[in-house]
Amino acid sequence: MTALIRSELLKQRTTRTTALLVLSMAGLLALVVLLHALSLKPANLTPRDGQLKVLGWGTGIGTLFAALLGALALTAEFRHGTIRPTLLVTPRRERVVVAKLAASVLAGLAAGILAEGFAAALETAGLAARGIPISFTGGDVARLLGGGTLAAGLFAAIGVGIGAAVRNQVVTITGLCIWSLLIETIVIGNVPAAGKFTPGAAAGAIAGAVQNQAPSQLIGLAPGLLLLAGYALAAAGLGARAITRRDIT
Amino acid sequence: MNLPARNLAAPDGQRRPAARGAPAASGPAAVSVASLSKRYGAVTAVADLTFDLAPGTVTGFLGPNGAGKSTTLRMLVGLAEPTSGHALVLGRRYADLDDPARRVGAMLESGDFDPGRSGRNHLRTLAVAAAIPDRRVEEVLGLVRLQDSAHRKVRGYSLGMRQRLGLAAALLGDPEILLLDEPANGLDPAGVRWLRDLLRRLAAEGRTILVSSHVLAEVAQTVQTALIINHGRLVATVAPAQLTGGPDALEDLYLSLTAEETA
Repeated sequence: MTALIRSELLKQRTTRTTALLVLSMAGLLALVVLLHALSLKPANLTPRDGQLKVLGWGTGIGTLFAALLGALALTAEFRHGTIRPTLLVTPRRERVVVAKLAASVLAGLAAGILAEGFAAALETAGLAARGIPISFTGGDVARLLGGGTLAAGLFAAIGVGIGAAVRNQVVTITGLCIWSLLIETIVIGNVPAAGKFTPGAAAGAIAGAVQNQAPSQLIGLAPGLLLLAGYALAAAGLGARAITRRDIT
Repeated sequence: MNLPARNLAAPDGQRRPAARGAPAASGPAAVSVASLSKRYGAVTAVADLTFDLAPGTVTGFLGPNGAGKSTTLRMLVGLAEPTSGHALVLGRRYADLDDPARRVGAMLESGDFDPGRSGRNHLRTLAVAAAIPDRRVEEVLGLVRLQDSAHRKVRGYSLGMRQRLGLAAALLGDPEILLLDEPANGLDPAGVRWLRDLLRRLAAEGRTILVSSHVLAEVAQTVQTALIINHGRLVATVAPAQLTGGPDALEDLYLSLTAEETA
């Protein structure tokens, strides 16, 4: 299994896709966090909750890109046909899925810590530029870095599962982006009773901040971890089942 | 002391040429396809196909495009599940082989590469997964004469270079069985000649080779046996060398057997 995981990590490193995704993530974060930090009314930005809502984009965007990294581990292989040589070397398909889960979770953890750290730096700079005092604490940042990273790792597993089940790269990537940036963000912000149970809100509960909603409206660390781990297990199981049952044409 | 040694040597010396010359030779088949069928909805891609390949034989798998050659090969390596019947390599399902990359090398269609990855890295990802040393990657790159382009992204490869990279991937584990789907596609005349020489060399090393093609000239001079399939069914098993009727004999037979397809 170590050899298979090393092969998957080598696949991540030997195309530009991974680097491009991380750059896109940084670009999107810069745009969204600075847009909020520089344009929201000072009255909305001064309280700690207001600042955490903006910081929460680090959670939202970090977990989205972790899911994309995980999904691409499979959809790129289906798109280019490399799934065939991959399965010729390792015909026991569940082993390939497990190796992809391991390699993607590692990549997802890295994406998570980068996103949370970058978001915190951007917001600090944005607030400083407007002379708004920082009201989030060092503890908040530590929770974001630890919790957001963990949540992103679980989101990478969700991405692997969805990629394995859907196979089509464009559909998978578009679907994940629309879900995370549009549907989930709106539901979390406007229908908190249901929105707090979405994967994104569960990630926010672990990280202590999510875009568009105050931390007090989230389900808390331990329930968030349980819920998101449940989503990850369900998606990975669904994906493994789809990969092992269907023909590779 | 000398007698048993001679007795051991004699049958061993006889076995190899016998196995290579006659596909019907006894002993476990390298490839065994029995009553194999594959249906996709209402379409029957492979219908009740049966054939065995003896170890050390070179067999052509001929038929028009869409005859079921690729589907059969995919079932042999476990990518597609047979609707009925079985497709075994070395007496087992491909997925049940202990170290499949070192037993069976397969090249399926062209273009199974990430265009953004270099040829060398494509092979390395497979080698790492199969615990094959990097040294072997360089060996197969040399074998298919790609060492000078191996650092370049596959995006910039010609069709012939992609075919050779696919062949290199199939040879990575130094396998005893080679399943090659249309390996000559996209090769120029010099490339076709090179492929023929390589296949002869690989066959002379005692490997079992199944090579599919829809272009007869590519395989007629290389194979001992040709399986001709049409509409998913085996329509003839011929030994091109034994056909009378001159250089066009195999083509004449093939065209008569697959007439409605090419008419």
